[in-house]
Amino acid sequence: MMRKIISGNEAVALGVKLARVGVTGIYPITPQTTIIEKLAEMKAKGEIDTEIVRVESEHSAMAATFGAALAGVRAFTATASQGLLYMHEMIWWVAGSRVPVVMVVGTRAVGAPWNIWNEHTDFTSERDSGWIMAFASNPQEALDLTIQAFRISEDERVFLPMMIGMDGFILSHTKTNVLIPDQDQIDGFLPPRRQPYVIDPEDPLGMGNVFPPEGYMRLRESIDSSLRNSEDVIREIGREYSKKINPLGDYSTLNVSYKLDDADYAVVAMGAWAGDAMEAIDVLREKGIRIGLLRIRYLRPWSEKEIREALKDKKGVLVLDRSTSFGRYGGPLYVEIKSTVSDIIPSIKGVVSGLGGVTVTKNDLVYLFNKFVEGMREDVIWYYPKEVGKVELRTPRDIE
Amino acid sequence: MSLGLRGILNKHNAILSGTSACPGCPENMAMRMLGMGLGKDVVLVVVAGCSSIIQGNAPYNAYNFPTVNVAFAAGPATASGLARAYKQRGKNVTVVVWAGDGGTADIGFASLSGAAERNENILYLCVDNEAYMNSGGQRSGSTPFGAITSTTPEGKKENKKNLPFLMIAHNVPYVATASVGYPHDYIEKLKRAKQIDGFKYLHVLTPDPYGWLFDPSKTVEVAKLAVQTCYWPLFEYINGKLEISSESLHCLDKRTRRPIRDFLSIQGRFKKLSEEQIKVLEQYVDSMWEKLKSML
Ligand code: SF4
Repeated sequence: MMRKIISGNEAVALGVKLARVGVTGIYPITPQTTIIEKLAEMKAKGEIDTEIVRVESEHSAMAATFGAALAGVRAFTATASQGLLYMHEMIWWVAGSRVPVVMVVGTRAVGAPWNIWNEHTDFTSERDSGWIMAFASNPQEALDLTIQAFRISEDERVFLPMMIGMDGFILSHTKTNVLIPDQDQIDGFLPPRRQPYVIDPEDPLGMGNVFPPEGYMRLRESIDSSLRNSEDVIREIGREYSKKINPLGDYSTLNVSYKLDDADYAVVAMGAWAGDAMEAIDVLREKGIRIGLLRIRYLRPWSEKEIREALKDKKGVLVLDRSTSFGRYGGPLYVEIKSTVSDIIPSIKGVVSGLGGVTVTKNDLVYLFNKFVEGMREDVIWYYPKEVGKVELRTPRDIE
Repeated sequence: MSLGLRGILNKHNAILSGTSACPGCPENMAMRMLGMGLGKDVVLVVVAGCSSIIQGNAPYNAYNFPTVNVAFAAGPATASGLARAYKQRGKNVTVVVWAGDGGTADIGFASLSGAAERNENILYLCVDNEAYMNSGGQRSGSTPFGAITSTTPEGKKENKKNLPFLMIAHNVPYVATASVGYPHDYIEKLKRAKQIDGFKYLHVLTPDPYGWLFDPSKTVEVAKLAVQTCYWPLFEYINGKLEISSESLHCLDKRTRRPIRDFLSIQGRFKKLSEEQIKVLEQYVDSMWEKLKSML
């Protein structure tokens, strides 16, 4: 075990190396590019024995990763934004095939217009694809979750692909101190690859051909129940990881609480700004306001039980969304939280902010939390940290 | 009829009984011959199309090879992943992509071109029935000029996209064409392709009775006519060298070509062609042969 100052993307590449991945499908897109560059560099130096398929699109990156996984090796890819949307079709195909695959998403805004900066909408819009979806809040967690992802997705109680979100630039490019496990430790933690079936010439097995309606529906149901059952598997594997690999990280739960037990108010957030939220909470605590944080680490499975338990007895909950769900009142996390605890929480408010790289600082969060505790009137607000000039949208031009 | 195929037929039965193919289906024939040419140790990647229906409903599988079905545009990339994984595992497997003309000329072309450029060790097989037959006979990039399809009821206005030429331009080790009318030639080409390391492209003309509008008993006859009238050239391009297959040698000289009308008049899809339009098709054939001759 050693410590090194590395970026989130480097941490992920190291996780892929330690997991002894057999094939990676690579295609560049900001801000995940340095993951695949790092892997290519490791390959050139002979540090990894991974087949690297330098494909011509993200659709193909997911397809190549899928093919490799079917043929019985550990397979990985990474993407972001438009790239994730471009592979959308194959993301569903992989989940429907029940084949373990791991992907990291360096989250980023989706055009139009072009915007390369961070938000979570690309990630959250894959919510219903059937993948396990975790979200890291620092480079250490990005590495730890990448390694755990192989173990979770290859568990016979799960057999589903898993993606890990990581805030673009904020984590992907920021260097922090990361604890890097030894190869021996990971070899002891990750058993040889397991999957429900392997495409091998000896066995004329058909995968993915036409399914009669009832069979199709049963398969969809099996994905749902495996995804829900994966909750216990995630806790079990997380506990083992904390014990054997990283004693400083607590992975015994799906989601993470901060100063929540005695709190009157709770904030819910996902990703890197949870760190700023913790600092903002400390400021309010000093003023005697009892407020805490629930950080969502797993969007899927959604641990209803854990979340209800963590938020019970709170006077109010404020949900921070760095993503959008248009035409619905509030962002995706707000809607999820509302459907989970609206019967036990008197007041649930939401903030949509930080889109397209808009910087939300600790001070902004202090302001927002204060406003919330004072009883902010609107249920959901779109918050702009700085004074933003009014944007005039032109009315459609009549064509003569 | 004795084609001397019985011996090889017993080698590997690629197709089991009970497929969902229409009577007279050329793709069914092409698949059966695939088994004769490649034998065992084959994995198939099938993209959306008639072939994914011919295979039959799960849990049954009429293809006697392990078969991965994938989304339309994903065939070559999925095959690349499979081939790389077998290489990692030290297994000798021939990975075959089986796609129609829509999957090849249109939606899957980027993925095909990418895999060819990377010289992936796979065999890409295009079964070309010149339209989207499985979804009702709509035009594709591979539909010839003048053909009536369900989205070109007035006849297609553009020429056929010449995929074998495009693949030759990729400088891959092996590009060949075949026709289900000439099984020996096709099977020989499959055998040759199997021996070659790197990217192999084989384009098989598969005349479809339902889209081309001829009697299902005539599939082989139409497939032969396509070659005899020189509409469909048979050739092999191995490591930069072009060779015209013996069935097509007569096409090198325009005077010995059978008139293209013999190929057009046996099908319903060309019934609205005017004299002028037939000339356009003749010009297409001429220019294709000029190009081939220039490569010899
Ligand atoms: S439509 Fe044509 S290619 Fe498709 S199954 Fe029927 S005969 Fe075969």
